[in-house]
Amino acid sequence: MIIIKDVSKQYGSFSVLNNINLEFINGVYGLLAPNGAGKTTLIKMLATLISPSKGEILYCGENILDMDEGYRTLLGYLPQQFGYYKNYSPKQYLLYLAALKGIGKKEAVNIITELLDKVALSDVMNKKMKKFSGGMIQRVGIAQALLNDPKILILDEPTAGLDPKERARFRHLLSELARDRLVIISTHIVSDIESIANEVIMIKNQQILYKDSVEKICASLEGQVYEASIRYEQLDEFRTRYVVLSEKQERGNMRVRFIHKEKPETEWQPVTPHLEDVFLYEYRDEIEVEV
Amino acid sequence: MRIIFHECKKAFTSPILVVLILLFMAYNMFLIFSNSYFKEELKVVNELAETYGVKMTDESLHQFQQDLQKDFAKLNEITRKHTAQEFSSIDEFLNTLRYEDRDLYTEKEWAFFTQYQLKEMYFNLAKSIDSEYDRMDWKRMAKSEIEMYGLSGSAAKILQNEYDKFSQRFEEMKENREHKTWFFAGKPYKVHSFLFRTVFGHLIFEALILIVLATALITNYEFENRTNLVTYSTKRGRRLMKDKLAASLLMATAITAFLFVITLGTYFSVFDYSYLWESSISSALNWEYNLPYVSWWNLSFLAFLLLSILLVYMCMILFSAITFVISIFVKNSYFTFFLFTAFFAMAYMMNGFMPQSSMLIFIAGFNLSLLVMNPHMFFMGSGGLMMFKFYEMITVGVWMMIVSVLCIFSFKKFNKQEIY
Repeated sequence: MIIIKDVSKQYGSFSVLNNINLEFINGVYGLLAPNGAGKTTLIKMLATLISPSKGEILYCGENILDMDEGYRTLLGYLPQQFGYYKNYSPKQYLLYLAALKGIGKKEAVNIITELLDKVALSDVMNKKMKKFSGGMIQRVGIAQALLNDPKILILDEPTAGLDPKERARFRHLLSELARDRLVIISTHIVSDIESIANEVIMIKNQQILYKDSVEKICASLEGQVYEASIRYEQLDEFRTRYVVLSEKQERGNMRVRFIHKEKPETEWQPVTPHLEDVFLYEYRDEIEVEV
Repeated sequence: MRIIFHECKKAFTSPILVVLILLFMAYNMFLIFSNSYFKEELKVVNELAETYGVKMTDESLHQFQQDLQKDFAKLNEITRKHTAQEFSSIDEFLNTLRYEDRDLYTEKEWAFFTQYQLKEMYFNLAKSIDSEYDRMDWKRMAKSEIEMYGLSGSAAKILQNEYDKFSQRFEEMKENREHKTWFFAGKPYKVHSFLFRTVFGHLIFEALILIVLATALITNYEFENRTNLVTYSTKRGRRLMKDKLAASLLMATAITAFLFVITLGTYFSVFDYSYLWESSISSALNWEYNLPYVSWWNLSFLAFLLLSILLVYMCMILFSAITFVISIFVKNSYFTFFLFTAFFAMAYMMNGFMPQSSMLIFIAGFNLSLLVMNPHMFFMGSGGLMMFKFYEMITVGVWMMIVSVLCIFSFKKFNKQEIY
């Protein structure tokens, strides 16, 4: 459906993405990388907001920039920072966006009522958005992305500001939507996509590190992830010797999850690697810098 | 059209614009009412136009003179009744009046005296037109203008030529007697200046502020509210900018129309023009300062008013488009407003920096700022350095082309711009 072909993006001498090649068909794709890895740049190129410095993005064999509105008719996009007009109600704002998406007014009113119900905002559809919480605004953003029943749905950090209940509802909604369309979710929160993504794409050093199913990506650490209980005093030394993925207190000791590629010690317990383990392992340098 | 309506809505629901419109409207009404103390006196010339026709002919002036003699007889009848005195003229009567004499006459008699005095003033003005106009020497005017502005070389030659052309027009006008129409006396009332310099001037300035703000707001709205990523990735995409331009021009039209309707509605309900709409704008009575207002064309007051409104409207449309172009590059309403102000001021001052010996001094004058700052001189031949016959048309025409090219260029630029 969408092919990203030899795409690079540079700002002056600074390279954000380098020679990216990807292929998307229907289903959910998770774009997973820490902040600053180039996810949003890639997403914005897919939304035709910015253009590649090199390469091209094709939809059914045609360059999306040449397709112009023909491509954007198929697109639903929720940006990372979803702006809104604080003095508009969700209904007014969605009516405006419906006009921009070429949806007739009568049809739009019905769609908006349905969508606001879907994102649990129907009781506030005529209230001004300036009084809305971050989660409510994000739900308006999700609704606007779905206005034109898009064939391609691109969501940049869609769960930012949502509480756990809202996240669960959102994941459910996405699974439902992904049946007959392409959904690309960019996130740095592993749990957002772990259970619903058909494929996960990880970007590292301006290039694609993985593009595979969660299982296959996790298999890259098969037999290398362990958990062990250690004394609190041993923790500092342990951290210097192994790649520690997580730590939690357990009955006066520390329960650590870590990676070790050589022969394990007997008291260590081998565990099934999760996507988060791969994420933490692959981006350990960036994450440390971020911390 | 729905999108354009949505874009317009952003401007007309903006509190600052609504407050400013109401403020300007109230100010214009105050300005008109506070300058209306002489409005009753203006009715006299309407009566003259009603009685004798708006055109002054030898017959109508003769009739007017006979009626004045009757009024003069009536004046002496009144004075005889109250003081047993007779006077040789209204001026003599007024000069002999003492404060205590006020109560001698009734309100109605005082109204008659005032009206008679005004009629006599208009009659004397009408009688003096030919001698005053015969004294007009356009060659001498040209020379003094050239000296005043320190022009030399080709610049002096150009102005001299223009004055030669204008002197022909002046002679034609004298022949077809279009200047011989009743109008408000210029020197005592300065009604033309009040309407076209003060009222139009204020209105233009206000419309300019509102239009620049509205255009900048509409154009930059998405970037300032951070909705740009959503709106420009919709089906309409970057073409939304075309809707924004259309909405800006529509808002400029609405703002200009609204201000004109309210301001001129108030003005014409206060000042009576009932019988003067067909009077000529080049009427010899419309002479306020050193030179009479003489238009290059035979225009009635109504035609001049409508053309002036049309000209102001076109300038406002162009200013809106210029603001739109600035907005595309700046993407911030306040900076846009600041840059537009700088552009307007620079254009206004530009011909002052040009060499006085070159025709550049005139070329630099063909700009919208200079044009709208002198609304009382629209279409006038007696307009100083910018007296050219087609000055208004050339200025608007040239700027329409410049602005169209700038708009096309900025659309192309925006289409390629990256949106963050």
